[in-house]
Amino acid sequence: MNFDFLPKYYMLFLDGTKYTILIAVFAVLFGILLGILFSLMRLSKVKVLNCIATVYIEFVRGTPLLVQLYIIYFGLPKLGINFPEIEAFGSSFPDVMAGIIAMSLNSGAYVAEIIRSGIQSVDKGQMEAARSLGMGSSMAMRYVVLPQAIRNILPALGNEFVTIIKDSSITSVIGIHELMYNADTVRGNTFRPFEPLIIAALIYFVLTFTVSSLLHKFERRLSLSDRG
Amino acid sequence: MIEVKNLNKDYGNLSVLKDINVNIEKGEVVVIIGPSGAGKSTFLRCLNLLETPTSGEIIFEGKNVTKKGTDINKIREKMGMVFQQFNLFPNMKVMDNITLAPIKVKGQDENSAKETAHRLLKKIGLEDKSDAYPNQLSGGQKQRIAIARALAMSPDVMLFDEPTSALDPEMVGEVLNVMKELAGEGMTMVVVTHEMGFAREVGSRILFMDDGKIVEEGKPKDIFSNPKNPRTKDFLSKVLSNDF
Repeated sequence: MNFDFLPKYYMLFLDGTKYTILIAVFAVLFGILLGILFSLMRLSKVKVLNCIATVYIEFVRGTPLLVQLYIIYFGLPKLGINFPEIEAFGSSFPDVMAGIIAMSLNSGAYVAEIIRSGIQSVDKGQMEAARSLGMGSSMAMRYVVLPQAIRNILPALGNEFVTIIKDSSITSVIGIHELMYNADTVRGNTFRPFEPLIIAALIYFVLTFTVSSLLHKFERRLSLSDRG
Repeated sequence: MIEVKNLNKDYGNLSVLKDINVNIEKGEVVVIIGPSGAGKSTFLRCLNLLETPTSGEIIFEGKNVTKKGTDINKIREKMGMVFQQFNLFPNMKVMDNITLAPIKVKGQDENSAKETAHRLLKKIGLEDKSDAYPNQLSGGQKQRIAIARALAMSPDVMLFDEPTSALDPEMVGEVLNVMKELAGEGMTMVVVTHEMGFAREVGSRILFMDDGKIVEEGKPKDIFSNPKNPRTKDFLSKVLSNDF
């Protein structure tokens, strides 16, 4: 093991980490928004909405992220959607956008299923009790069912965040200078196949471990307040 | 107050309620008894549309509950319901369980909602539990809170769906006492129960249901001491002989 390359190349790792975090944060954000939308569609009584959401979710879950990424990356320009280059952005902005869009669309399907199962795991009696008190269904959802569903959802949602951080490494194949891409660059420049990957792995682990510990803390706070 | 006309409820091919006709007057305590699967709970749940009737009409205080376009939420505000499984909101303190609907649905301000809640908690003998969470309470306490929660909306009628069936035997009494007190105050009540003592003592009218039909109805003393229908006789002889 020889980490002599670090003083010269550490900036590449830090830069890469920045892009990894950037992609992950936006993918989580849009993934949740899409997930809420699709889960409501799945639970909706309107057949068309339900059908669209089901097809979408099954397609995303049944195809590899890598394929989805390529489809978005090569497909967006074909559809006439071209993002401009932005100089200040450093790494290629259109590439980053394609990465974020693909990751978000992918995550949205998984989050939708997580939310749906969370809502369905709340006892039916809760909705009935709320309705029997004169609440409309959206009011009952908001004040009674969702707060309880969120507690059931959190652990699985935490896993999804961690998965997004790890899977963002796939976006290196479309040339986004995120952590994995830059680790590869260092590997090529230093002719050291092993050590740069160790550094990358360590950084990924620190990121995922931080996220999961924070979520654990949050979960515990929620369950404490539940017991009074 | 509640008028039920030709009420039918089917699940697919299974007919659970068959042509039910009942009139419930203000101040009455109607107790529905009968074997499991007779459709008692389904009937009760049809009254506030937790189950959608297949056909028939339910008129509550002059409004047709079953007609499309009726604001069912407005009607449910006036029909309190108590469930077998309590269905308290486990993530909320007792106080919030009781005040949630008055504040969100009726738009009461927090202070007056809390005042009402305190008064109700006092009435059911649980004034010290307002800051407790439901899972810190016994079954009997939970069910009394559930009654208070329904009462907080100041309903005109209270529906009880086997309120004591999920309770340990020693806790049945405390819940029945609250219900008895409520009946004494003139609350209109529809109660599905297996507590024959309660039916006889508190009920102003008994409905005996079997196989989706109201087989016999009448005053408690008539039904219990002199049942006419053979099914009623059979049921009562079995149930009452359990009191060794």
